[in-house]
Amino acid sequence: MSQSIPKLEFLTERTRLVAGRDQTVSVLIRVIPPEVDARQAARPKLNLGMVLDRSGSMGGEKMEHARDAAAYCIDQLLQTDRLSLVIFDDQIEVLIPSQYAENKQGLKEQLAHIRARNSTALHEAWVRGGMQVSEHLTDGAINRVLLITDGQANVGLTNTDEIVTQAMELFKRGVSTSTIGIGSDFNEDLLLPMAQAAGGNAWHVRAAEDMQRIFTVELEGLIAQVAHSVTLGLVPSDGVRLSDVLNDFELSETGRYKLPDLQAGSPLDIVVQLRVPAQTTNSKRHLLDLRLGYTPQEAKSAEVIKQALELEFDSEESVSRLPVNHEVTKAVRLLMNARARREAMAHMDAGNYVLAQHVVGAALSATRVACAPMASAPDVQAEYESLASLGESLEDRSQDKMNRKRLAYESYARRQSKKV
Amino acid sequence: MKSLLDKARQAKYVGVAELADEAAKVLFEIGTAQERGTVSEVPDERTIRYYLSEGLLSPAEEKQGTASVFGYRHLLQLLVVKKLQSEHLPIRKIKELVDGRVERDLERLLGASESGSTARNDALRYLETLLTTQASTAAPQSRTLRSQAQPGAMSARAALSASPAQPSPPPQQQSAGTWQRIEIEPGLELHMRGDYQPPDDARQRRRLARNVLRTIESQSQRLQKARR
Repeated sequence: MSQSIPKLEFLTERTRLVAGRDQTVSVLIRVIPPEVDARQAARPKLNLGMVLDRSGSMGGEKMEHARDAAAYCIDQLLQTDRLSLVIFDDQIEVLIPSQYAENKQGLKEQLAHIRARNSTALHEAWVRGGMQVSEHLTDGAINRVLLITDGQANVGLTNTDEIVTQAMELFKRGVSTSTIGIGSDFNEDLLLPMAQAAGGNAWHVRAAEDMQRIFTVELEGLIAQVAHSVTLGLVPSDGVRLSDVLNDFELSETGRYKLPDLQAGSPLDIVVQLRVPAQTTNSKRHLLDLRLGYTPQEAKSAEVIKQALELEFDSEESVSRLPVNHEVTKAVRLLMNARARREAMAHMDAGNYVLAQHVVGAALSATRVACAPMASAPDVQAEYESLASLGESLEDRSQDKMNRKRLAYESYARRQSKKV
Repeated sequence: MKSLLDKARQAKYVGVAELADEAAKVLFEIGTAQERGTVSEVPDERTIRYYLSEGLLSPAEEKQGTASVFGYRHLLQLLVVKKLQSEHLPIRKIKELVDGRVERDLERLLGASESGSTARNDALRYLETLLTTQASTAAPQSRTLRSQAQPGAMSARAALSASPAQPSPPPQQQSAGTWQRIEIEPGLELHMRGDYQPPDDARQRRRLARNVLRTIESQSQRLQKARR
């Protein structure tokens, strides 16, 4: 697997562009991670630290599902993986100190002791969980804290910015953090930025019964991880302008876009828009240089793939006869909808619910038009349903907290090419 | 790699060719994954001349006949440039990072790729400081105390106390965008960017101390005048 490298695909709506006019071209850049060896032994080792909220609000069904999900997690581990479990309310307890997942039955029996109790000392619990992982920090393994909570940090350090900064600092020291927020009462403005800053994933469990599915996605993602520290450099050639990157990736200090980790079987869809000046018919032009930097899971140093985008220009008539690649249209629309969700969120925050609803409604109409030729595709269907139900639910003031989370997490998942 | 460099510390390289050979040897040993394509795998003589003309390498300080004599610092500069290139940084950016750096800084820049072992305890150490500061900062006015224990300040302290044999965590890992406010004494705060590295060299440090005092003095004089 060390020899296999990610592939890059450039896709445009039509394979040629119309000559003789200035235009904006959407380019779908698809990063296809290398496939992992089917043998399980080839997967990266895991050093996991689960940090589980057992504050009062986690009682009943939620706690039951959390226990099931944790048990599921234990079942999936290899004997060479490490696991620890910290549970917290206002008190913090290391229920399972970091150990190899050798005695799975014993580990699962420990879970039975978890009962929901008081308030939420989220920060210190995260620190304790981080320490369990850090004590056994393993090169080449995925060293990760998994923070699971349904509530707001209300004991100890509660300043969101500080916690996010600390999570980022810990990531720089080799330990990443994923966050799982359950229900509608946790603070998405903490858990989402925290996971993003800390090199992990942010998940929202809307209903308790989804917990196991989310755990599965997180765990399978870790197992399938083939590269981290992924960056993208885009240099348009002279005369061409990079007018937009629809994923709204954060920039690194060196001006590269920060991409999510690469996982086998999960291509990343990135859409950029280029402003291209008029070209003559039957000409070919170099439009963009792309550099994908990444660190393979078991390597220490960065590798780079370079690729150039060149396109041919032809008369309007011949271009219009070319088939349309609907994948590109769809990718553009879905990322536009991710932006629409964030816009709707901003309107909600400003108290303008009508406008929020309008933005979501407009996104749905635009999607119905743009994606009509592939309306039966499952991801298009899912998008229709999600936007329609959001639009409806935005009428209901009692759903505000849940809606804001849906908007935030759905937008994030799309921009990061995460499929739940 | 440390031992590799130790050997080179006293060495002199007569002419560009010797410097190129030595760099190739060290690069081979560390196995810097250089990308395929425009960036040459190991620096040849022409590349070195180009770096010299671009100011990425300092000019030779002595000559032997017509040949320039290069030393340890030049070797480090060359290795750092190649390393940063392999991390796909543009020449302009590399120049900013390498410009005016002393040997210690360059060694540290090189050390970034072997952070694996130093990072190990670093994560734990970091979390431990979070716990201790948390315990000591129950009152809201102690916010400044907490920020003292924050990353920027911490790595600065680590860098000050680190002995030359023990490279401190790589400086460029600190985020350039985050600033820390640190209370020095009542009425005086220091505003420090996350990636700031204090100078290692004693003379530079004295200069920095003088600058800080001078700034404080002139500022407080100006404030007093304004008050009158």
